[in-house]
Amino acid sequence: MLQLNAVEHRFEGRSAKAPPALNIPSLSLKARQLTVIRGPSGSGKTTLLYVLSGLIRPTSGEVRWDNVDIAGLGEGARDRWRRRSAGFVFQNFNLIDEMSPLGNVTLAAYFSAFSDRGVRARGKSLLEQFGVADEARHVSSYSRGEQQRVALARALVFDPPILFADEPTASLDEANSAELCQSFKRLAGEGRTVVAVSHDPLLIDAADRVVTLDHGRLVERELVA
Amino acid sequence: MNPFPVVLSLLNRNRVTLIFFVVLITFAVGLGIAITTQERAVRQGSARAADKFDLVIGSPGSPFDLVLASVYARPAAMGLVDGAMLGQIMAEESIDFAAPIAFGDSASGYPIMGTTPQFVEHLSGGVAEGRLFAAAFEAVLGANVRLDLGERLHAAHDGFDSEEMLHEGTIEVVGRMARTHSAWDNVVVVPVEQVWVSHGLPSGHAPGDERIGPPFVTDQLPGVPAIVVKPSTVPAAYGLRNAYRTDSTQAIFPAEILVQLYALLGDARAIMSFLALATQVLVVAAILSGVMIILQLYRTRFAVLRALGATAGYVFLVAWSYVALLILAGAVLGLGLGAGVSWAVSGYLEAQSGIAIPVTISWQEVQLVLMLVGAGAALAVLPAIAIYRQPVVEGLR
Repeated sequence: MLQLNAVEHRFEGRSAKAPPALNIPSLSLKARQLTVIRGPSGSGKTTLLYVLSGLIRPTSGEVRWDNVDIAGLGEGARDRWRRRSAGFVFQNFNLIDEMSPLGNVTLAAYFSAFSDRGVRARGKSLLEQFGVADEARHVSSYSRGEQQRVALARALVFDPPILFADEPTASLDEANSAELCQSFKRLAGEGRTVVAVSHDPLLIDAADRVVTLDHGRLVERELVA
Repeated sequence: MNPFPVVLSLLNRNRVTLIFFVVLITFAVGLGIAITTQERAVRQGSARAADKFDLVIGSPGSPFDLVLASVYARPAAMGLVDGAMLGQIMAEESIDFAAPIAFGDSASGYPIMGTTPQFVEHLSGGVAEGRLFAAAFEAVLGANVRLDLGERLHAAHDGFDSEEMLHEGTIEVVGRMARTHSAWDNVVVVPVEQVWVSHGLPSGHAPGDERIGPPFVTDQLPGVPAIVVKPSTVPAAYGLRNAYRTDSTQAIFPAEILVQLYALLGDARAIMSFLALATQVLVVAAILSGVMIILQLYRTRFAVLRALGATAGYVFLVAWSYVALLILAGAVLGLGLGAGVSWAVSGYLEAQSGIAIPVTISWQEVQLVLMLVGAGAALAVLPAIAIYRQPVVEGLR
């Protein structure tokens, strides 16, 4: 379970009198749930996602995963934690265009201690599972739906217990969005903690829980399903 | 950690710009390599061309002119050592031989050098084609002379080809010297007697005696502009040099003239080498500023690597390797280009002068390239630090 306790974050250079970018007294995100964070532009959705994933260390407070306070870790330790424990899916996929789908999926093997052979086998299996042909051509020549599925396979290559997604359906058509929502549902059902920032009604409808933010504060907690 | 797959993907992007950067480095390095290798090749080639000219004696005047005329077959207006002195030198006991060198004429555009069969043997080790001259009006060709055996040549005062300036009679080509790798590969060599007789002088032998080469009859010897002496020992060489440094003769080791020349050129070489290295460093610095801009275009990519769990150290390694590889590629290609240009220049100079200009890649060039690669690797830290310090979240926005 991902647990936030008394988390407050202020960006450097902002006035001390200005309200914090994020102010969350308590928030628990459970395994086996797809949680969608929503809110108006500038409400702190992405900041919350980055705090949860350890990309941002909050000014104060705890971000706990199991018994580890991620916010208390140094930068290198947070990198390692993220590599072991979390996968990331982005709005614009953020794939390396000049690599093949498999090259992108196994990218993290280049900066981790995992065996390349094992990672390649899992990468191939994931691509097959998501219906993406493993060809040598550059991933940029694939359709947008396929690219997002490659990005999802990349996020899952080390079988992390947490999956973060930032507006994952924003660049997709309705059919591909629906397929991605189903994938997220299934991944949560397999026991993962899936957290997505999104405005997409399809994803919100698919969510087990919707968290709404405004001006960095939780305004409602809603269990959709 | 393996940064290279990511580095290669980055290199794959902006290929045209990156190729342009590498080409710039290649040319800067190539220029430096060409300068240093060519300078050394000319030095070694000119020294080797003078190897067979142990001691040269001439009339007082410029020692440079004496060396240029006798060793490098660049005839100059020079005074003559008189016949009596030539006879005295040839009679020295501490020499293996002394060969008179006469010049100033040309045939079919090639300089004519008059000397003895003995010196031709000494210089070339024998003929590659035909035979050595055996009569006054026979000639052997240098290895690069584009004339045929059996041709008959008309000798004329050098630089004049009008009928009035032709000497009487013709010279028959009877052989071609083996390659000497000296300026003598570009000349027509005749017996010294031919030069004397064609200028209306005694032949060095008794009247009616048509022999060529030593021994000569002293009172029948005309003067010559240069005499090449092969001393029998090193001490004898120094003794002869001192003995013939007189009011009427100068005696020089061509090597000592070359040493003076190289000393003069040495400063210029140091300056050129410094300028070449400075140019390379400036080019690399200019390119680094361009690379920094390009790397900024990849900041989202670096941020994504961090989001996927890459450490800041890995991102630093990728950025550093990217820049260092560009510089390394340019430096290695530059080494090849410089050597290639130097070989081409040597080929041209060799064709012009006959002197073999041997191009070699030495430790000096390797050092030059290593210094540049080292400087580049050090400078590559700057863009790598810029990427390393970039906030991940900003890159993801």
